[in-house]
Amino acid sequence: MNASPRSGLFSAWQLRRRADVPVWLDLLARLAAIALALLLVGIVLKLSGLDPLALGRKALAQTLGSAYGLQQALILATPLAMTGLAVALGMRMRLWNIGAEGQLYLGAFFATALALFVEGPPGVMLVLMFFAGALGGAVWVLVPALLRAYWNINEIITTLLLNFVSMLLVTHFAIGPWRDTGASILSATRRLPYEIPVLGNSYLTAGVFIPVILALLLNLILQNTRWGYEVRVIGGSRGVAEFAGIPVLRHILLVMLFSGALAGLAGMIEVSATAHRLSGTISNNYGYMGIIVAALANGSPVGVLIAAFWLAVLLNAGIVLQTSGLSVSAMLAINGVILIFAAVGEVASQYRLVRRDMAAASEPATSGAGREAEPVLVSSQDMEPIPPAEKSPR
Amino acid sequence: MTPAPGTVCVEMRGIWKHFPGVVANHDIDLDLRHGEVHALLGENGAGKSTLMNILSGIYQPDAGYIRLNGQIVHFRSPAQAIACGIGMVHQHFRLVEMLTAAENIHLGWNDTPWRITAQALARRTLDYCAEFGLHVDPNARIWQLSTGEQQRVEILRVLARGARVLILDEPTSVLTPNEAEELFRVIQGLAASGRSVVLITHKLDEVLAASDCVTVLRNGRVVAHSRTSACDQRSLANQLIGQEFVSRLHRREQAPGELVLDMRQVCALNDRGLPALRNLSLHLREGEILGIAGVAGNGQSELAEVLSGLRRIDKGSIKVDGADLTRSTPVGFVNAGVGHIPEDRLGMGLVSVFTITDNAILRKYKFPPIARGLRIDGRAASSYSQNIVARSDVKTPSLKTLVRQLSGGNQQRLLAGREMQVASRLLIAVHPTQGLDVGATEEVRRVLMEHRNNGSAVLLISEDLDEILIMSDRIAVIYNGEIAGEFDAAQAKRAEIGLLMGGARPSREAA
Amino acid sequence: MNVLSGLLAAAIASGTVIALAALGELLAERSGVQNLGLEGVMAMGALTAIASELLVPNPALGVLAAIGIGLLLGLIYATATVAFRANQVLCGLGLAFLGTGLSGRLGAPLSGLRAPVPLQPVRIPWLADIPLIGNALFNQPLLGYFAYFILPAAITFVLMHTRHGLNLRAVGENPSAADACGVPVVRLRFVYTCIGCILAALGGAFITLSFTPSWIEGITAGRGWIAIALVIFGTWRPLPVVLGALLFGAITSLGFVAQIQGWGIPASFLGMLPYLATILLMAIPYAMKSRAFRRLGTSPAALGVPYVREGE
Repeated sequence: MNASPRSGLFSAWQLRRRADVPVWLDLLARLAAIALALLLVGIVLKLSGLDPLALGRKALAQTLGSAYGLQQALILATPLAMTGLAVALGMRMRLWNIGAEGQLYLGAFFATALALFVEGPPGVMLVLMFFAGALGGAVWVLVPALLRAYWNINEIITTLLLNFVSMLLVTHFAIGPWRDTGASILSATRRLPYEIPVLGNSYLTAGVFIPVILALLLNLILQNTRWGYEVRVIGGSRGVAEFAGIPVLRHILLVMLFSGALAGLAGMIEVSATAHRLSGTISNNYGYMGIIVAALANGSPVGVLIAAFWLAVLLNAGIVLQTSGLSVSAMLAINGVILIFAAVGEVASQYRLVRRDMAAASEPATSGAGREAEPVLVSSQDMEPIPPAEKSPR
Repeated sequence: MTPAPGTVCVEMRGIWKHFPGVVANHDIDLDLRHGEVHALLGENGAGKSTLMNILSGIYQPDAGYIRLNGQIVHFRSPAQAIACGIGMVHQHFRLVEMLTAAENIHLGWNDTPWRITAQALARRTLDYCAEFGLHVDPNARIWQLSTGEQQRVEILRVLARGARVLILDEPTSVLTPNEAEELFRVIQGLAASGRSVVLITHKLDEVLAASDCVTVLRNGRVVAHSRTSACDQRSLANQLIGQEFVSRLHRREQAPGELVLDMRQVCALNDRGLPALRNLSLHLREGEILGIAGVAGNGQSELAEVLSGLRRIDKGSIKVDGADLTRSTPVGFVNAGVGHIPEDRLGMGLVSVFTITDNAILRKYKFPPIARGLRIDGRAASSYSQNIVARSDVKTPSLKTLVRQLSGGNQQRLLAGREMQVASRLLIAVHPTQGLDVGATEEVRRVLMEHRNNGSAVLLISEDLDEILIMSDRIAVIYNGEIAGEFDAAQAKRAEIGLLMGGARPSREAA
Repeated sequence: MNVLSGLLAAAIASGTVIALAALGELLAERSGVQNLGLEGVMAMGALTAIASELLVPNPALGVLAAIGIGLLLGLIYATATVAFRANQVLCGLGLAFLGTGLSGRLGAPLSGLRAPVPLQPVRIPWLADIPLIGNALFNQPLLGYFAYFILPAAITFVLMHTRHGLNLRAVGENPSAADACGVPVVRLRFVYTCIGCILAALGGAFITLSFTPSWIEGITAGRGWIAIALVIFGTWRPLPVVLGALLFGAITSLGFVAQIQGWGIPASFLGMLPYLATILLMAIPYAMKSRAFRRLGTSPAALGVPYVREGE
């Protein structure tokens, strides 16, 4: 009656799927993934003749190790956090806003237009520019949002294609009609007459507070309001949302518009606090970095702030090391590796190794708990696009 | 060299299988013989499907071995099991909806010629139909077929590949009583031809009607094995549940009260734009349970949906307590005191990644005291949730537990509790005991009965005819979107209902 | 007439790039795997091809090198998404970043260089004399014939008329059903993901070996993304996809022609045309109201969903 000739093909260890992934483990898996990705990058650097440890030390010293470095990190973290919030908001409803880059451009565009052609007291103008930036981003995501809401057309592609369009648009104006005719700058507009005020003696501007305020606000909305609850329900299960009578279409539109607005604000802040001129290179892939930030933060607004800061440190390290052989493209590539590792790490955290013979004896039999509650995790693993509504419209 | 009937073809020894949090198979031994129909009896969650999934190569056992015709075999995939002549027809069909019946039958099969045309596949399919006595339309796409026809495609697929061991997992759950009898005839024929058939079921009468021997599983263990001829209903029931089981449903004798639901001549389309409800009329009074009997796919889902504001009505009207809800939203139905326990627990009723509280407030988050202006009052939400958990006896360490961590029974309790809280006038329960073990099933039925005893109206939609017969005050049979017949439960005859479920229209004679 | 036939030739050449990548993605998506990293794979294919050419001026070797890099990237992506079942959107984006970034970094020293020996057109004697379309369609490099004739025909045949194609379609629609029938789901997904990447790399190689033919960072200009969009527009069938690629090529060429002819539209706006047109194209299948068409145009049901056999 007892087990038996155990076939030699069975190994002593076995991968068993977890019933539930504790938060700390999920976090650990992400951090481990990032560490492994960096390790891989380090190995590659080593093989190509650079000394990763020395580079690392130098980078850390110049980024986190000095007041200047910290401030630069905060400055860079600002647009990353804004686009991160934009993507994270969409993620909560399983919508992918890959167009944050383009929305950033349009936000900067609208804000610049206002600044260059309308006059008024600085305080008022800045507030107007704030809304202009948000409007620019929202406008740019409108068509993809409509296509997604009504026809379930893949928003990843539509938002992304508009990125290319936005860059062409902004470049056209920056080097054309709005070009700074003063000698030195060839490919940007004239300097914006309004700037977000600087904080004291530092390099920081008041712009640094905006993502923090918005992140806290977003968190509050998602966790404590009725609308936020509805958004979370849709993200949790579209079927249940429809069952409860939540107007899914309306929410898709609103969330995407807000997401676009957040990215547009990133552009407005960039152009009025950091760059002070609009050009075709106002963004250094910030929109795409926002995706990484949101993925690492798993859609949590507060997590976005942390992830954005961390990524800013990493990117600044790359800039510092530019003279030593790393470039913007290389940073993009490294971020790609991190993203892949993070995605794999997420799956890895769902499993654990168990010894086969102990496995047989250890688990208590509980009735009914079997296969009905198939683990569905709150992670990007579940970020499959919301299935299209199959019911006839009411 | 056909093996003699009665000789052992499959031996399973010492099979163990774990899933997160549960032991599904606990040191199981099983023998299958040629020419025999072997019933595998057990309640939901007893481990029968798991065991057969191991035999058919879908799962790998954690320990133990399998011998096929004397040789130890180790199936690492369904393909290997199929190649050895073991085929399984699952409860939830493994068919590709977009492909035709012929394509599904020839899928993944090395015997299929490398180059295919629709005509060639159709011809081959019809040959198989003739050989095994099961007919399907080869060129119909699966989504166009009824569940009975889909099952035939599954069976053909398995037989065509030379299955000598055929495993059927709860095959009659999607069939009318007549179709079930037809299936048993086919099974007998297959056994007579020397094949070994395993019939997985939780229905006692099926075991007695169709099998030669029976193995009873309970909580993952084998508790009994005998020749069917030596068993009767009572002994099997005892072995199944482990004790004398007496149903404690208490139906209070009461006259139905005021009219609650008045549904007239309702027409509605299904997702594909075809008519699902045709001039359907129902009425329901306080304090009665109306059971809707019928085979899946005859409009039950659409009926539940129009009664909760999830589907548009093209013609007709729905009134609850006199108020016209024809064009109402789900929230409107909740306001009118109508609750709905959906059949898809996790797809429609509960968000598995949410906490219990977040799920509990799904129907009431827009109303005070849970809603406070634009915000949700956390404390009010928790106390509302606590109330539901306590009244429905949901076993959980905390309100913050995620629903996916609860057992199926607890999830159903939570769902039913939440809906009953809003269903002061009418409760629509769709397949409420699906997938639950005996204990949980009994509880849900008891709770529904209490709801009815307290004066609410209950519309019970179920594919389990026995459940309908046990629970209902009145029974209506739905077929093809229409009510084919209505009875008082006391006068209902199983046979007659079975006929109506299958679309026959018997002449009404004096009872 | 010259303008028109020149336009056509440019359209066909431009379309070849996209057709190759789109057909590759079609195959991958038919097996249920969505690869959003095409842009990155294309960029690496483009770079590898021209780099190889600069080392050994033989376009055939360049093509082989591109195939090699496509295979490598495909293996990486397939390992992450099919073997490890990681989220396909994230991995795809990661691959796009990786490929774009890496090609930009490694290709910096090659910026602006021309391919010494571009792919030579092969003229089919009698057909190339057909007025108007003859020269464009029948006087192109071998990869062109491959993209427009051989590949779509082969895919159509295999997919719809062979046992293998039937299995493949099933894997994309319902992998658990296919698995239950004994179809090797994981293996098929792996293979077709790699094939998809190889074809995308070939598309990139065509840019640097024939279309442009030189290298500069960003030369792919979003064509990888457009290829993915075209698969949707073509409702996962080879012929509409190729037509879409051709259409896209025509729109792009229109932009060039407008510039050359001086029609007065600023270059930037002409540059936007292809992307806007693609969005429009994506909307067309859905705008069709007929239900039958809608069912025909739905994606493989299991697209983007990692397959886990029950019990694992």
